[in-house]
Amino acid sequence: MSEHEKFKILVSAFIDGETTPEEEAAIKEHIVACPSCQKLLKDTRCLSSLLKEWPDEPLSPDSECEIKKNLKSQEGPKMKKKSFLKKTGIAIFMVVIVGVALRYYGQRALQGRLKDSMAYLQTAQTTSSRQRGQITQVAEKVEMAVSPVRIARSLGKSLTTRDAARRSRTDDIADQYEPYYLQAEMKSKRFEEQYDGSIQEQSQGIMIDVNGNFISGYEKFNTEQYDRIYENPFLKAMENPLSTFSIDVDTASYSNVRRFLNNNQMPPQDAVRIEELINYFSYDYPLPQGEHPFSITTKAAVCPWNQDHDIALVGLQGKILEEEEIPPSNLVFLIDVSGSMNSSNKLPLLKSAFNLLVDQLGANDRVALVVYSGAAGVILESTPGDQKMTILNAINTLNAGGSTAGGSGIKLAYEIAAKNMIEGGNNRVILATDGDFNVGVSSDGELTRLIEGKRDQGVFLTVLGFGMGNYKDSRMEKLADKGNGNYSYIDTLKEAKKVLVHELGSTIFTIAKDVKIQIEFNPAQVKAYRLIGYENRMLAKEDFNDDTKDAGELGAGHTVTAIYEIVPVASDETFGNVDDLVYQKQQVTGGDDLMTVKFRYKEPDDDMSQLITQSIQKDAVVEKLTGDFEFVVAVAEFGLLLRDSKYKGAANYDEILRKARASQGKDAFGYRSEFISLVEKAKAIDMRSLNKGIQFKGRN
Amino acid sequence: MSQTDEDLIAEYQLGNVEAFEDLFQRYKGPILNFALRVLSNRADAEDVTAEVFFKLYTKKHMYQPVAKFKTWIFSIAHNACMTVFRKQKRLIPMWFRKDGEGGYESWDVPDDQDSPVEELKKKEQQKMVRKAIQQLSKDQREALILREYHQMNYAQIAEVMSCTVDNVKVLIYRARTCLRDRLAL
Repeated sequence: MSEHEKFKILVSAFIDGETTPEEEAAIKEHIVACPSCQKLLKDTRCLSSLLKEWPDEPLSPDSECEIKKNLKSQEGPKMKKKSFLKKTGIAIFMVVIVGVALRYYGQRALQGRLKDSMAYLQTAQTTSSRQRGQITQVAEKVEMAVSPVRIARSLGKSLTTRDAARRSRTDDIADQYEPYYLQAEMKSKRFEEQYDGSIQEQSQGIMIDVNGNFISGYEKFNTEQYDRIYENPFLKAMENPLSTFSIDVDTASYSNVRRFLNNNQMPPQDAVRIEELINYFSYDYPLPQGEHPFSITTKAAVCPWNQDHDIALVGLQGKILEEEEIPPSNLVFLIDVSGSMNSSNKLPLLKSAFNLLVDQLGANDRVALVVYSGAAGVILESTPGDQKMTILNAINTLNAGGSTAGGSGIKLAYEIAAKNMIEGGNNRVILATDGDFNVGVSSDGELTRLIEGKRDQGVFLTVLGFGMGNYKDSRMEKLADKGNGNYSYIDTLKEAKKVLVHELGSTIFTIAKDVKIQIEFNPAQVKAYRLIGYENRMLAKEDFNDDTKDAGELGAGHTVTAIYEIVPVASDETFGNVDDLVYQKQQVTGGDDLMTVKFRYKEPDDDMSQLITQSIQKDAVVEKLTGDFEFVVAVAEFGLLLRDSKYKGAANYDEILRKARASQGKDAFGYRSEFISLVEKAKAIDMRSLNKGIQFKGRN
Repeated sequence: MSQTDEDLIAEYQLGNVEAFEDLFQRYKGPILNFALRVLSNRADAEDVTAEVFFKLYTKKHMYQPVAKFKTWIFSIAHNACMTVFRKQKRLIPMWFRKDGEGGYESWDVPDDQDSPVEELKKKEQQKMVRKAIQQLSKDQREALILREYHQMNYAQIAEVMSCTVDNVKVLIYRARTCLRDRLAL
């Protein structure tokens, strides 16, 4: 490289500000005498500004959706499908939307802009219309010009019949995640025609949300809510003898699934948490005797959807508190009163639900009420539970959209709980919300840390979800987990009764915390096993003995059931192939046990865990399922069908119905018969199993 | 309130998916445009973008706070582009030379504010700039893009491209020389 070239390189670096002071001095000295370098300097600067002429391009909403979908499916990005039809459909649909908007607003200026965009659309379509990208650009352009929501906003009108003045910021946030067709306030016939209240299966139907972004099917609706569930696979007992997980008493998934089926739609697969479906119901496990707060039941039977496999059940029954054992409660209700809570399935339902709860409290209990809606405030200072009129007054006069003074909602709630702490009592914050989590803490991380901190001081958290469009379901669940609490989704007064009356004790009294289960399978009897459900509860095997690792809480009277699908050792099936170890020899000690089950739990105010062990023999396997075991298996089978699981084997709706009917039992509150009707609904609307060929009237 | 990238990734590593969404919105543009300019192909660029965010989503723990987040995410993008190049070797090199085929001259949106003459000149110029950049060698192209369009300093570029600062200096110089020749400056 010549000397001169070196200088030229320095000049280039100089323009980028990457030269040392010495180099800079050298350049300055050289350039005085060198016209070619002077030209170089000028030209390079010209070049830089010329390059800037190349503008950035935006990521189209479709691509963004695609990418997010890939993330959720965690299968990695696929090659883009050149769905030309989809793009044309979107372009045409935008025109339709524009037509609708025009009928609504009929402004001349609008028509003018529309004509321009239409002209562009037409030219785009008649010229090189095979270009995928062109249509997208056009669609974006048209969307930007005539998005009905933007128009509405600019005209100061509300797109819904809800009074614009009553909309708060939280409404806007809620709107982003609750698509139009779900809002009960959507009285407009026109929109009902378009959207028809139905959530289509993916990739059918095209909707827009508040910003005029496209949502195909319910992808946008679906994308931000559920953590993807990777089903537990079959694991070889020889290589993975330990299965470790935390218990879960949440039941929100069942309520959620029920809500979809009652709307005649199949629930999204990731909304189906099988353990929550099973744990929704109560079972007749024996009450605990003795020192431990729960009893353990183990059963085994032949697996109904795969005759070559077995099913093993592990059930916990928490103790019920006697009258004199019920500790006094220090409750703080933290209630979301933003404008979006106004619909009939939210704040009014919440009020009724809390009325029921307060009815059961006594003189030794205390209740406080904190509301938040942007700002937060104390509506009711901590009041003894026998002053029911005072408390009920405070609750019943709550209005959505009211603004209050004060600090952040959740900090406030915890402060009040701490101030009125009852030693050895039940100190709990009960959060009631429709999913918009603006509790005044600036970030999720901070919120989590706050809750974890308070949990360590002995204040627990119960989360009640009301009427949400499922947004932040996973966030609510995580919050309840971090706060040593439980999460229920209350969609009807009946569910409110279940959670806050019939099962109030279980909802608010914790009898054991950080309950973990570790099962060791015996390779002499079990070839492989699969835990059904609990996918987002799995723990590392070391976490079992690690008392610092958080796990689920057991409420008084709660039952927890876990089932495994087991492949007996005599089976011919193979599960993957791992080379034999060179440095370790594996020795199976044999025996007739299928597995040994170990539990660790802590007393509610203790930090050291205690261990219980029990084993299941192989001769415990029975041919026929009976009683509660049969019902549990029916629910699990239903879960597998809803998830369209690859492990569903020969699972089918008729079998589920038969088993559920046979094991319906006493069913004092009708929860099991409700389950049966849900199964019938699902059977009727599940498109995936319709391959029976042409059917005839009366011949099904 | 505005959090730094490093704050957001730290939060995401703790499990907060909102932080991921924020990062996604911040970087979807830069990453897409980086890949677009380096690869000259919209489909590939979108694949790279998807790949980068997939890696971010699933391998968040790979990020250590010693590096700046921007350089880290761009080095993922760099690697993804390299993978594309390796695959491309099997394709006919002429693919990227044809106008309007896989290239993005067709994506142009006319600017309402320009008069037709202005617009045409601008479009011509943009086309020339793009063609000239496409004809650079991939290393020169990448270094130049990181410098001119993403305002990275030489140290950062060196980190993203896994080479030395001196290499970067020379690459950028040579890229500029080529461009000046082609664009007759």
